[in-house]
Amino acid sequence: MTVLIVLVALAVGAYLVAVLESWAVHGRLEPARPAISALALLGRESLLARTPDRLFFEAGPVVLLLAGLLAVAVIPLAPGLIVTDLATGALFLNAALAYVLVALIMAGWGPNGAYAMIGGWRFLGQFVAYAMLIVMPITAVAMRAESLSTVDIVTSQSTLWNIAYQPLGFVLFVAAAMGLCWLPPLDLPTARGDLAGGIEAEYTGARLAVLRLARMVLIMALAGATVTFYLGGWLGPWLPAWAWSAIKILFVAGLMVSVGRLVPRVREAQYLEISWKLGIPLALANIFLVGVITLVVPI
Amino acid sequence: MNALTQYGVLFGLTLGTIGFVLCFYLLACAIGGTRSELGKDVPATAGSMSREPVWVRYHAKYYGYALLFLAFDMEMAFMYPWAVVYREEGLVALLDMGVFLAILFLGLLYGWSQGALRRQE
Amino acid sequence: MRGARHGTMNALQRIAAAAMSRDLCGFVVPGAEIARAVGIDLGDAGLRLSTTPRHANVLVVIGRLPAGLLDAASVVYAQMPRPRAILTLGTNDISPLPVPDATGPLTQAGLEAAIADIRRIFAMAAFQPDVENFEAPTLETSTEYTCPMHPEVVQEAPGNCPKCGMTLVERETAGSAHRGHAVPEQKREVAAQKHSKPVAVCHDRSKGGHSADGDNHEQHKTHGSGHKQHHMRAKPDSTEAPLQYTCPMHPEVVSDEAGSCPKCGMHLVPVAEAGGHSGHDHKAHGKAHDEHSTDNHRGGHGGHGGSERVEGVEAHFMSMVDLTRDMPASADGLKMEWIDVPFGPFFPGLPGGLQLKLTLDGDAVATTSADSLVGSSDPLPANPSSPIEFVDHLAALSPLSPVAYRLLACLALEKAAGQSVAPDIARARLAVVERERVASHLGWLAVFGAQSGSSWIEKRAAAFQLKVQGAAATDVTTLKPKISTFLAKLQRTPLLAARLSGIGQLLANDTLSGPVARASGMASDTRSDDPVYAEIGFSVLTMTDGDALARLVQRCNEITQSLDLISAVGSVARLEPHSIGAASGTGEAVVETPRGAARLSLTLHKGKVIAADIKTPTTAHLALIGDVAEGQELGDALTGIGSLDISPWEVTS
Repeated sequence: MTVLIVLVALAVGAYLVAVLESWAVHGRLEPARPAISALALLGRESLLARTPDRLFFEAGPVVLLLAGLLAVAVIPLAPGLIVTDLATGALFLNAALAYVLVALIMAGWGPNGAYAMIGGWRFLGQFVAYAMLIVMPITAVAMRAESLSTVDIVTSQSTLWNIAYQPLGFVLFVAAAMGLCWLPPLDLPTARGDLAGGIEAEYTGARLAVLRLARMVLIMALAGATVTFYLGGWLGPWLPAWAWSAIKILFVAGLMVSVGRLVPRVREAQYLEISWKLGIPLALANIFLVGVITLVVPI
Repeated sequence: MNALTQYGVLFGLTLGTIGFVLCFYLLACAIGGTRSELGKDVPATAGSMSREPVWVRYHAKYYGYALLFLAFDMEMAFMYPWAVVYREEGLVALLDMGVFLAILFLGLLYGWSQGALRRQE
Repeated sequence: MRGARHGTMNALQRIAAAAMSRDLCGFVVPGAEIARAVGIDLGDAGLRLSTTPRHANVLVVIGRLPAGLLDAASVVYAQMPRPRAILTLGTNDISPLPVPDATGPLTQAGLEAAIADIRRIFAMAAFQPDVENFEAPTLETSTEYTCPMHPEVVQEAPGNCPKCGMTLVERETAGSAHRGHAVPEQKREVAAQKHSKPVAVCHDRSKGGHSADGDNHEQHKTHGSGHKQHHMRAKPDSTEAPLQYTCPMHPEVVSDEAGSCPKCGMHLVPVAEAGGHSGHDHKAHGKAHDEHSTDNHRGGHGGHGGSERVEGVEAHFMSMVDLTRDMPASADGLKMEWIDVPFGPFFPGLPGGLQLKLTLDGDAVATTSADSLVGSSDPLPANPSSPIEFVDHLAALSPLSPVAYRLLACLALEKAAGQSVAPDIARARLAVVERERVASHLGWLAVFGAQSGSSWIEKRAAAFQLKVQGAAATDVTTLKPKISTFLAKLQRTPLLAARLSGIGQLLANDTLSGPVARASGMASDTRSDDPVYAEIGFSVLTMTDGDALARLVQRCNEITQSLDLISAVGSVARLEPHSIGAASGTGEAVVETPRGAARLSLTLHKGKVIAADIKTPTTAHLALIGDVAEGQELGDALTGIGSLDISPWEVTS
């Protein structure tokens, strides 16, 4: 039952964020656009490139969808409204999100086309840049909560949200999350100007619909993770818990899909440099700082 | 729910997703099939035909970062259980892990000084 | 609808067709910048644009499609998934593409009417029971059979090579079947199966055509002779026949030059290095290999002398040193395969019509080859031509800056006829040219925004460009503050400097022209020689760095300067040549087009142009693509090429 509610909430949320993204990209608010696009994609042919790696080509979007859904399965929307409250929830989230890389490499390699393949390998470079910056802030969050369960992490923020407790971790996590779901300015694998669509380009018809759905689910999962780890999950006065979750997740997801479009795309070499020369030391400093603060301050 | 049931639910979720995707593809098939024509199956490269296979060894330029990433990823695997028991253990835990992180950080600095943290042309 | 999908319109199909008619996504040929340059706003008409034909369902052809682009347009159309439609605005005959589904004049109203037509067609005819395949000569391929050792031997049917008796290898080439000796597009065989188990292949080699090998094979002379001959052959500088190359996995493939195996695409290695993979049977081979491992006569082998022998697999099999011996090395010393990737002519972010082929080493550009498919080797009209014809023809040369070329023709005609224009007309002409400069630079900014992924820049610059084009002088003056604020905000965009600085550095030299030259510090602007400009206070703007950021700032500064000049003049006029009667003479004129200085010299005889010669700035800039792109990462290379603002239409070979 909870599974059904969470999935329906996810579907509604993903639809709304898709509308927001289309507004950010095209400047027009068209509420029916995602549904029309999905139907239109169903009506188009789904092409298969010549001499593809069939297994990889087909599996790419499916693995991406699985990664997103499994990540959503450990995001709590309200006390008790979570698909599976794993004792190692945060770690499971990481494990599920690691499959995003696998999915994109498969999508890049499958069609045996130059643009897609370069997009896939560029994403691997991006992964090497953002991966540590996702994992390290989560460690700091778990230190405060003394547990890896996402529900415990949320309840640990009842006195003070983590965004105030660990602002450095928040900034690093959100930036890395945008890299994970390849939102601009970190959209190296599907760069419109560099690669004419990159990994998405060879997918058409129903497969493209699944790929786009998977990406939206992934964005929702990451917005949910940000809210869970840093913005206090369902905590808040007056409104019921699920309403707070909804508001916060939609807000974060809306920001993620729109803010980055004002800035030009990063260069991969610079992104890697900044992540490793600035990001990792900052993340380590964050862990150390949180370590000291948790020992000194009782909240 | 105990852990086994939870993983069972997740497995069911996986199967359900795959089933959903298959249904979606079946629906698309019911609408129509793909017609194979000349040139349609060549990967789109901006107006020129490019039939060459591209499955070659790719010269990734970020291998310096990737090697360091391996080291740090192994470190993070150790940090997760440490983070859970950290508050109980207190200052000792901070110092223990601090030493570990400091050594790894020195490794990062060494790699940086040797030019691992740049685009390897 | 010719591009309909096969099927009947049942309920499901009807819903899908209705959705598709509301979700039109267009791929613009020759490019969105051409649409903007003629004043058409595609987004406003309800058409979304896609960067790849795979995601598009309408092929939008804007204006005249030159013959050089017809093949590329056919390829793009063939790669669109069905149901697909063609929409043309003001276009000539576009065969081999099918008849357009909607046409219209080259105006915004025409576009909107055509789009409404297309929506109707999609909703009603997206699925049809009878559809024909789309065929075009560029798409056809034929299978031919060739000998790996004698590439000139090409046959239609499998068999054996008449010269050496080897089994012919299958290869796919462009062109239809009756063009038997069409030059193959690539040497590697396209149906590259995944590398089959190496063991099996190796063992196959003893039967694979060797018994049929004639005596032409050099190594067959040494077949089975063992040690001594093996040594002889192993020395590459031996006095015998030159070194031959073979594929480590397909030893029956032998060729005289380094390249790629036609069967699997692997790099061919010298025959000696392959450890004599070709042309032995096992026994001699095994003996020879032991000799190899003990005898370090080639440096490369020394390292592998100690490699363990795996049962059934030859020693030195796929050893990286052997495989990569003749490959070009990247800058960090590694030898990896390079791939040839085309980036044109319809690549988003690059000017349409530019055929760019890059050889990529990973994600870095190793070599470039750039060509213009829309340039003309014969840009001037046939002689003799009347002045009006001449001016119109020259204006049609470059759809991205027609006004500048029109002015060039007018000025040259007037110089040749010995006439001069009244000062107020000269000033009005100045304003028109400057207005076009503003529009052209704004168009470039829009393309830059599209390429760098900043959709804000793209939309705002495109909107301003459409407003400025064809605006009266007073409207331009009202737009000026808005454009200035936009440019100021643009230059303050965070990460812009990080994105652009250091890319595409060009040192000042004589081949540069226009904003590219001025951004590198050269004060070369033909407007400074013009008295009309000097009158209203023109001074050359330059930047010092010469990289992509400097060019962006230079163009922004030039926009502001041109807006000031237009305000100072206060009126714009249509460009018409003065009537020159039956004058004769020669004249030369120079105009600073938005991309650089263009020179035209012509000879008049009794009022008709009998000879003319034109030099455009872009022709020289094509050669800069190599300097800007090679050795750079792909994204940086494309940014650099984009910053040159090349107009492939102006290229005169």
